[in-house]
Amino acid sequence: MISDLDAQKTAKALILTLDGEEVAFEPGETIYEVAERHRREIPTLCYDERLEAFGACRLCIVEVEGIRNPVASCTTKAAEGMIVKTKTDTIEKHRKTLLELVASENRSVDVNQLSGYASQELKILVDRYDARTGRFAGKKSGTSNTKDKNPFILRDYDNCISCYRCVRVCAEREGDYAINVMNRGFNTQIITEFNNDLRDSECTFCGQCVQTCPTGALGDRKALRDSDTEGEIRKTRTICPYCGVGCSVDMLSKGDKIVGVQPAMDGPANEGALCIKGQFAFDFIQNADRLKKPMIRREDGELHECEWEEALDFAAAGFAKVRDKFGRHSVYGIASGRAPHEAAYTMQKYIRATYGTNYIDNCSRA
Amino acid sequence: MPRQSNDELITRWKDEPAPLLPLLHAFHNRDGWISEESIRAVSKGLKIPLAELFGTVTFYHHFSREKPGKSAPRVCTGNVCCLHGGNELLESLKSEGATAMPCAGRCDDMIPVIIDDKAFVGLTKETLVHRATPMPVPNPGGVTECVFSKIREEGRATLEGYRSSGGYRGLEKALAATPQDVIDAVSESKLAGRGGAGFPTGVKWKAVADAPGDPKCIVCNADEGEPGCFKDRTLMDHDPFAVIEGMTLAAFATGAPLGFIYLRYEYPETEAILENAIKDARANGLLGENILGSGLTFDLYVRRGAGAYICGEEGSLLNSLEGKHPFPRNKPPFPVTHGFNDKPTAVNNVETLASVPHIIANGAAWYRDLGLGENAGTKVISLSGDVQRPGNYEIPIGLPLQTLLNDWAGGPLPGRSFQAVTMAGLSGGFLGGENLNITLDDPCIKSKGSFLGAGGIMVFDDSRNMVDAAHDAMEFYAHESCGKCFPCRIGTQRMTERLNGSTPKLTKEEWLAEMNDIGSTMKSTSACGLGMAAPHVTESLMRYFPEQIEAHLNGEA
Ligand SMILES: Cc1cc2nc3c(=O)[nH]c(=O)nc-3n(C[C@H](O)[C@H](O)[C@H](O)COP(=O)(O)O)c2cc1C
Ligand code: SF4
Ligand code: SF4
Ligand code: SF4
Ligand code: FES
Ligand code: FES
Repeated sequence: MISDLDAQKTAKALILTLDGEEVAFEPGETIYEVAERHRREIPTLCYDERLEAFGACRLCIVEVEGIRNPVASCTTKAAEGMIVKTKTDTIEKHRKTLLELVASENRSVDVNQLSGYASQELKILVDRYDARTGRFAGKKSGTSNTKDKNPFILRDYDNCISCYRCVRVCAEREGDYAINVMNRGFNTQIITEFNNDLRDSECTFCGQCVQTCPTGALGDRKALRDSDTEGEIRKTRTICPYCGVGCSVDMLSKGDKIVGVQPAMDGPANEGALCIKGQFAFDFIQNADRLKKPMIRREDGELHECEWEEALDFAAAGFAKVRDKFGRHSVYGIASGRAPHEAAYTMQKYIRATYGTNYIDNCSRA
Repeated sequence: MPRQSNDELITRWKDEPAPLLPLLHAFHNRDGWISEESIRAVSKGLKIPLAELFGTVTFYHHFSREKPGKSAPRVCTGNVCCLHGGNELLESLKSEGATAMPCAGRCDDMIPVIIDDKAFVGLTKETLVHRATPMPVPNPGGVTECVFSKIREEGRATLEGYRSSGGYRGLEKALAATPQDVIDAVSESKLAGRGGAGFPTGVKWKAVADAPGDPKCIVCNADEGEPGCFKDRTLMDHDPFAVIEGMTLAAFATGAPLGFIYLRYEYPETEAILENAIKDARANGLLGENILGSGLTFDLYVRRGAGAYICGEEGSLLNSLEGKHPFPRNKPPFPVTHGFNDKPTAVNNVETLASVPHIIANGAAWYRDLGLGENAGTKVISLSGDVQRPGNYEIPIGLPLQTLLNDWAGGPLPGRSFQAVTMAGLSGGFLGGENLNITLDDPCIKSKGSFLGAGGIMVFDDSRNMVDAAHDAMEFYAHESCGKCFPCRIGTQRMTERLNGSTPKLTKEEWLAEMNDIGSTMKSTSACGLGMAAPHVTESLMRYFPEQIEAHLNGEA
């Protein structure tokens, strides 16, 4: 015990001074991470905590005593004894100028919230810094590719600010490397290989790029169908019904209508990730064609609605007939990947005990 | 030679160090352009995701992605060549598919035009000639030189001529001593980086020597992209073994077995000269294993860039070598600990490296004392523009600018007077008026808000419109901004627009306020030296030539 205490005393905590306040930090932490823990609300546009810090937007600059120029706090590691100021007049002025510059290259900073999870970031900062000045007028950057033939992702690069979050999320989180950046300087443009449509690329339509885009340049086309639908957007936390991973999602609804899905950045299983199904394939929920009752194909060859009791008896009789006629290995069970553990267990029990066969599998294995 | 297949090209390069650039050049050379099919083949061969590779290829402006491609003339429309009619020459070659290129590093000559792998010069389409890089004239001040001291000797560019004029004496001396002795000598000489930033070379080498990680690496930065700089070309063309010996000394001092020369695209003849010199050095036991029987191993590869000023910035250069998208890297960590393939790496300029053999051979004190007054050593100045005798001059640091301009280079053109000069190529902006009386050393130049940098000085006489000059400079930065960080990507564009009057009409107050705000934010917040330096141009324009700005805003010519 005594030696433990001694060890604690000698392992001196790392300390830096943050706006005059001494705060502790862990080795490897960046200034930004330390400052965020202490609620400094440093503005950022190219930052996504799930991605490697990139250092593009320069909004996160802070003053560090002894260093002539401000440093980007997202890429600069905290160091013992550092004296950091996060919000001097000079820093705030640079931030405002940066935001005015960024606003000047886009067609609009006001985009529909349904565009994506992070789509309001630019708008919020422009308002916070009162940067709606119309200064720095000039050429707009980015060429929109709104004709990209896909039902999921709007590619409206007129509103792109070249933060490369989309490129980085696609590479770092998805491992798809579907998109990248073409050209240099003011002519940079987010593209797939050879500037083709997404469907001709490695894109899996996971929508991660849409959800990290801070300007709505990448937009959720399915959600945006309901731009004009009446009502406030409501978010309801739930679990994606598709597979056993159990990704947390926020269902977006207006009134009684489900209009879209956004990944939950704090979902323990997915940490903001989703696949094409969880992200975009939600229409079935309120689809008119959705089956709401079991059906049996009767003598006339047509499907007829019935009650569950009857449907189950009918199915059981059918299975028994097959088994009696062709033997125990004539039945093969595949449990749904959407089924939770308990259901999958019951399914294999059912197949093994009822039919006496080991022909049981799960669709996630396919 | 029959057309080589994709597979043959890939097999040739894929296991070489830093294979992407040479492989892309191999396709570019074979077909004259880089096709979709070639990009697919390289992507597969080197296992680089297709979209990433496509983005990287588009980053370099000299890689053609359509016919006629490589054989179409590229005409220099850099600041100095504009003074000589670069735009008119470009116009006259348009029918042959000509495109503009930024300063091609030959501002002391006529306008360079690159066609395939030949750099021609001329003032009109009919009179283009292919000739060697100009040799520096004998030192007009009669002062002792370092890097140019032997360059004019007969046969210096051959191994035999190099050795007979004192070459490899430095390496022999070093091999008889210790790596630490070399580092000490370089430190004591006060040699500082000649590529722009002026970092003490001895300190850099010591850091690499001390850093953990193998294999360490020496990179010679021969990208020479700074407009108005053409000294590295002269050194490599006329004294290539000095660069190789300098790199070998760096390798010995730091313990690096591997080296690269990163050469800009615009110097095709230089590539051949370096490759031949490396071959000769290797054949004579001066590169490779057991150099001069000492047990030292050092091997060296030339890698040719493809048109991107930013690839002279060391982080961007290293990414380019590694086959990545050439954005600059966030610092720290610095290349001395995390350089090529994240191993300790010394990135040094050509002139820095070429100085070292002389310093080791003649001693640290000898070099240090070459400077005037408190200043140590010498610097090559690339002088160009409106002056009688443009060219490369090796000056003792501390020389008055007026001495260089008038006594060494013959003064202004007949009937003209000097209006302004640039410093550090373009990166130091303009000096004018009283401040043309500076001495050429950083303490003095920095006190005027500029710096000596890589030593390019362009001269503008009283016939020139300085707003136009500033516009051409800012257009260069906008063209070369890598696009990674916001202040530079957008700022260089907005400044260019404000210098060519393509924006909605602004009052003088608005114009000045916008330019000041953009400039100050770029200087303070840009992620690399390009964006930090670019506002020197506009700041100095506002300081020295307010009346020309006024005329520009009033729409006067
Ligand atoms: C935009 C930019 C371009 C640069 N271009 C060059 C170049 O062409 N050649 C060079 O030697 N250094 C260049 N540098 C400086 C390098 O980053 C680096 O400091 C230098 O190569 C180090 O060598 P030295 O210490 O011998 O000067 C450039 C820097 C910046 C920011
Ligand atoms: S949808 Fe997913 S895979 Fe497609 S580009 Fe966006 S991040 Fe990449
Ligand atoms: S599309 Fe969005 S995420 Fe991608 S670079 Fe542009 S602004 Fe950033
Ligand atoms: S300052 Fe310019 S060149 Fe440097 S990283 Fe930023 S955008 Fe790129
Ligand atoms: S958040 Fe640090 S530079 Fe963008
Ligand atoms: S060679 Fe044309 S401007 Fe330098």
